[in-house]
Amino acid sequence: MNFPKKIIYLDNAATTFPKPREVLAEMIETYSSLGVSPGRGSYDLGLEAEAFVEGVRARLCEFFGGDDPRRVIFGYNATDALNTLILGLVKPGCHVVSSRLEHNSVLRPLHHLLERGVIRLDLVAGDEKGFIDPADVDRAIRHETCLVVLTHASNVLGTVQPAAEIGAVCRKKGVPLALDVTQSAGLVPIDMAGWHVSALAFTGHKSLLGPTGIGGLVLAGERLDISTTRFGGTGVESRNLLHTQTYPHRLEAGTINLLGVAGLSASLRYIGREGMKNIYSREMDLFRRLYDGLKSNPRIRLYGTESMDNRLPLLSCNIEGTNPQDVSDILDGDFGIATRAGLHCAPLVHEFMGSAAKGAVRFSIGPFNTLEEIDSACQAMNDIAEFRRSA
Amino acid sequence: MEEGLATGQDQVYASGHRERSIAGRKILFDASGFLLNADDWSEELAEILARENGMGPLDDSRWKVVHFLRDYYRRCGRPPSNHELKEGTGFSLMILESLFPGGVRGTARLLAGLPNPRTCL
Repeated sequence: MNFPKKIIYLDNAATTFPKPREVLAEMIETYSSLGVSPGRGSYDLGLEAEAFVEGVRARLCEFFGGDDPRRVIFGYNATDALNTLILGLVKPGCHVVSSRLEHNSVLRPLHHLLERGVIRLDLVAGDEKGFIDPADVDRAIRHETCLVVLTHASNVLGTVQPAAEIGAVCRKKGVPLALDVTQSAGLVPIDMAGWHVSALAFTGHKSLLGPTGIGGLVLAGERLDISTTRFGGTGVESRNLLHTQTYPHRLEAGTINLLGVAGLSASLRYIGREGMKNIYSREMDLFRRLYDGLKSNPRIRLYGTESMDNRLPLLSCNIEGTNPQDVSDILDGDFGIATRAGLHCAPLVHEFMGSAAKGAVRFSIGPFNTLEEIDSACQAMNDIAEFRRSA
Repeated sequence: MEEGLATGQDQVYASGHRERSIAGRKILFDASGFLLNADDWSEELAEILARENGMGPLDDSRWKVVHFLRDYYRRCGRPPSNHELKEGTGFSLMILESLFPGGVRGTARLLAGLPNPRTCL
């Protein structure tokens, strides 16, 4: 396939691209020297690989404000982590509270359980701007509620939810709060302990700037125990034909993705060096330019909040009377701009936005976008809108 | 073959697939109207599908797109990328999308007998 030499990549909410060169270089270097099975053999290199993995668990624990590195569990991505969490925590008869802002990584495991009659489910509606009111979560919690699971930031609207306030509600009611930080991790500070978050699911390949195929679950101290739903080799307690109940291996079956862990290690270092606040601030500067550029065209409809506070640098929009998939294809084919069209795996958000039939075009900014690229994107959208108006 | 329910001359299956009798032939479509077997395609069928999709007779520009899609798919085993489509037809994506009421994915590919494209809907 012949790709254009240079594209303007504005699909960073799906996967950040490109990755920092330092991250890729460090991944290869680490894997070249340590790429054996961690925690399996007793030879020095195996032990060293295990120590490396434990070190990354500790750094992730600190990064997210967790309190026990042994409860940092690696998986493929946030979807994998959320499945591990939901299927391992929810018992028959449980009532679960979630929201209409969720990605299918939360909605589908929950609806799978709902359809089988295992749980009862209430979905809190966000307001028209895309924010969840903690009071709504409070009202939705019942005596038999065993889990509140919410996105920290909408992947369609970019709105960052009041996690600390929701955490306070959950703490008051004695219900664990699980947070999906897929979009926010790496851009905004996350404080599990301070916010009373019992579990969070993260992925490495978005704003954490790591590779695909690595993510995980962070559990708070002793507050939450997750049943094992996948079983296999762990490198420990091999004589036992039942899976170990000791964290983190309790929830990790099979050899972990060491190359991915090496990527996370490098990307955490990169974010630490650059400063998360600086990365966010720079991306939001570009985002303001994008938002204002699109907003100035009356034929372009922007969804969700107009505020720049409590949001990530992504937006969804439509050109009046134009299929968003066509717009995205035109942006790609004629302007070399990569965006994401459709429902973004979050169908209920589009229902309350009124865009459920065709979805919307999503622009999401990453650390390597430039002002010129943003201006090109605005111009391209104006050109498409004008062409469609005159067609 | 799944057991079908008769609706007029069409057979509709539990999968949503539909077997239709068109110009004396039985042809299988998916739930969105895309051909399941690219070999069932003919120019006559493309014209019928175009009418069903609210288009008049296909003109030279539209035939150019349909034939390019088919030729590319036959040679490469996949639909062309946006850039290959642009290069191969000589039309911008803006023009291409305006030639077909449901765009390239929704209508041009359907008329050309290509498989239903994956979209995030």
